[in-house]
Amino acid sequence: MNEEHELIQRVHAAKDDIRAADRLIYDYLPFIKAQTAKFLQRPPIEGQDEELGIGMMAFHQAIQSYSRGRGAFLPYAGLLIKSRLIDHRRREQRHGHTISLDAPIGEQETPLGETLADPQDHNEALLLRDATRQEIQELTRQMEQFGVNLRDVVDNCPRQERTLQACQQAVAYARENPQLLEDLLQSGRLPLAKLCQGSGVERKTLERHRKYLVALLLIYTNGYEIIRGHLKQMQRGGARA
Amino acid sequence: MNYLVMECHTSYVVLLDEQGRFLRAANLCYQVGQTVQDPVLMEDVQTKPRSHLKWISAGVAAIAACLALVFGLQTYQNYWQAYSSILLSINPQVQMDLNRQGDVVALTGMNEDGVTLLEGYDGRGKDKVTVADELIDRAIDMGFLSEGGQISFSIDAPDQVLFQEYGVQLRTQVQEHLSGRITVNIQIISGGSPSQGSSSQEAPAGSTTPSSSSSSSPGGDSGYGDSGYGDSGYGTSSSAGGTGSTTGGSGGSTSSRPSSSASSGAAPAADPDDGDTNYNNSDTNYDDSGTTDYGGQSGAGDSGYGDDDDNDDEHDDDDD
Repeated sequence: MNEEHELIQRVHAAKDDIRAADRLIYDYLPFIKAQTAKFLQRPPIEGQDEELGIGMMAFHQAIQSYSRGRGAFLPYAGLLIKSRLIDHRRREQRHGHTISLDAPIGEQETPLGETLADPQDHNEALLLRDATRQEIQELTRQMEQFGVNLRDVVDNCPRQERTLQACQQAVAYARENPQLLEDLLQSGRLPLAKLCQGSGVERKTLERHRKYLVALLLIYTNGYEIIRGHLKQMQRGGARA
Repeated sequence: MNYLVMECHTSYVVLLDEQGRFLRAANLCYQVGQTVQDPVLMEDVQTKPRSHLKWISAGVAAIAACLALVFGLQTYQNYWQAYSSILLSINPQVQMDLNRQGDVVALTGMNEDGVTLLEGYDGRGKDKVTVADELIDRAIDMGFLSEGGQISFSIDAPDQVLFQEYGVQLRTQVQEHLSGRITVNIQIISGGSPSQGSSSQEAPAGSTTPSSSSSSSPGGDSGYGDSGYGDSGYGTSSSAGGTGSTTGGSGGSTSSRPSSSASSGAAPAADPDDGDTNYNNSDTNYDDSGTTDYGGQSGAGDSGYGDDDDNDDEHDDDDD
C-alpha cells in the first residue's frame, strides 16, 4: 500500500520534472522490459530492439497522462505499453514486404546490412553530427536566456496545420526584415506587434505560440546554418506564405 | 521526411522536422544531432480525467430528449395530425381535416368549385365552425349559395360522441351565423352517407320556427337514429326531461310527445325556432323531432316519427 502511494507521488512529481521522470523510468526499467518481453515472447535486447524504446516512451506517456481516476498506475502503464507496441507492430506490418538490413543471409550469421556497400562517408557524417550537436547545444543555451527550453517548445508547437502555417508566415516576415531578429536579440522580447502588423497573423495566435516562435526566430539569427539547412520545407512554405 | 534529433532523454527524444515542427518520439538509441527518417512519434494521450458530471449531464440530456420527443409526439397528435374530417358540400366541396381539438389542419377542394372557393383562403388553425362560416360566406359572395340552397356536412369522426358533438355545433352555429340573411337547408351526414342525414331549413330571423330545436339538434333528430346517434339521445332525453314545454308552437299535439321536448331540451340553441309549422312541413325527416305534424301523427302511431326506428316509436308510445 505504501509502495503504491509512494509510486503515485513519484509519478505526480515526474509530470513536471523531466529528471524525476527519467529516474522513475530507469527504476522501473525491469517492469518495462517485462511488459515488452510479454509482447515479444522473448526478452528484449537493449540497444537492438526498437520495442524496448517504444515501451519506455509509452511508460513516459503513462506518467504524463496518469490520474487517480485511471486506477492503479502500473496496470495503466502496462496497458499503454502494450497498446503502443501493438500500434508499432501494425505499422511495421505495412512494410512487411521489405527485408530488414539486420536479417541474416541464409544460414550465415552475417546480417544483410554488412554485406552492402555503404555510400556514406562515416567520418564526414560523424563530423556533421558533432557540428549539429554543437549548434543545438548553443541554441538550447540561447533559448534558456529567453526562459525557454525544448520541452516547452514541444508543448507550445502548433498542432494544426493552419496554425503552423500562420506561425511560418510570421517567421517568414521576420526573415525578410532582419531588424526584427535584431530587436529580439537585443531586447530579449518577441516583437509581437510588428510581427502581427507585418505578417497579418492574429496577435492571439502568435501569443499562444510565443515560445515556439522564439525558438524558430533564434534559429534564423546568425550561427545556426545546419539547423536552418534542415528546415528546407519550412523555408519553402514560408516563402509561399 | 527527415527529423533532426534535438534532445535525448531516457524514454523519448525531441525531434525537429523539416517543416519546423518540434515533436516527441521514442528514443530508439538516437543521439543529439542525428538525422532520422522513420521515428516512432509520441501520440497525445487524453490527459483530461473522466468526469462523472459528463455522464450525469449526458443522462439528463437523454431524459430531456425523450420527454421532448414524447411531448412533441403528443403535440403533433393533438394539433397537427388529422383525427377527423368534415366534407362541406354546397356545390363546391371542401374537405376539412381536423385535429383532436377540432381545429382545421388542412383544407382540400374536392371539386373544381371547391378549389375555386379555397383560392386565397387559409383556414388552418381555425375552429371548424369558424372555417365553415367563412367558407359559406365566401360561397355566398361567389354565388355558389343562394336562397333555398343546401349545405351538407358529412362528418367522418372515429366515434359517435364526436360525431354528435360536431353535428350539434355545426348545425346550431351555422344557423346562427346565417340567421337573418339567407334560408338554406343544413344537412348533417354521418361518415359520408347522405341517405342517413337529416336536413333542416334555416329560417330567417324573426320567423317562428317551432321545434326547430330538435331539427337543429342532432340529439333529437331521428335522422341520426340510424347511426345510433338519434336513438340513444332521443330515448334518453325523453325519459330524462320530456316535459313537452318547449314544443308547443303548433298546439297540444307536441305536448303529447315528450320525446320532442326532450330533444329540444338537448339542443337549446334551436328553441327559438319552435312554432314554425312551415318548417316541419318542409321536411318530413324533421318531423321526427316533434313538430306539429308530428303531433298529428303521434296519435296515429309512429307513421312519421318512427320511419327509421321502431324502437323510438315504441319508446314514445310508452311515454304517451
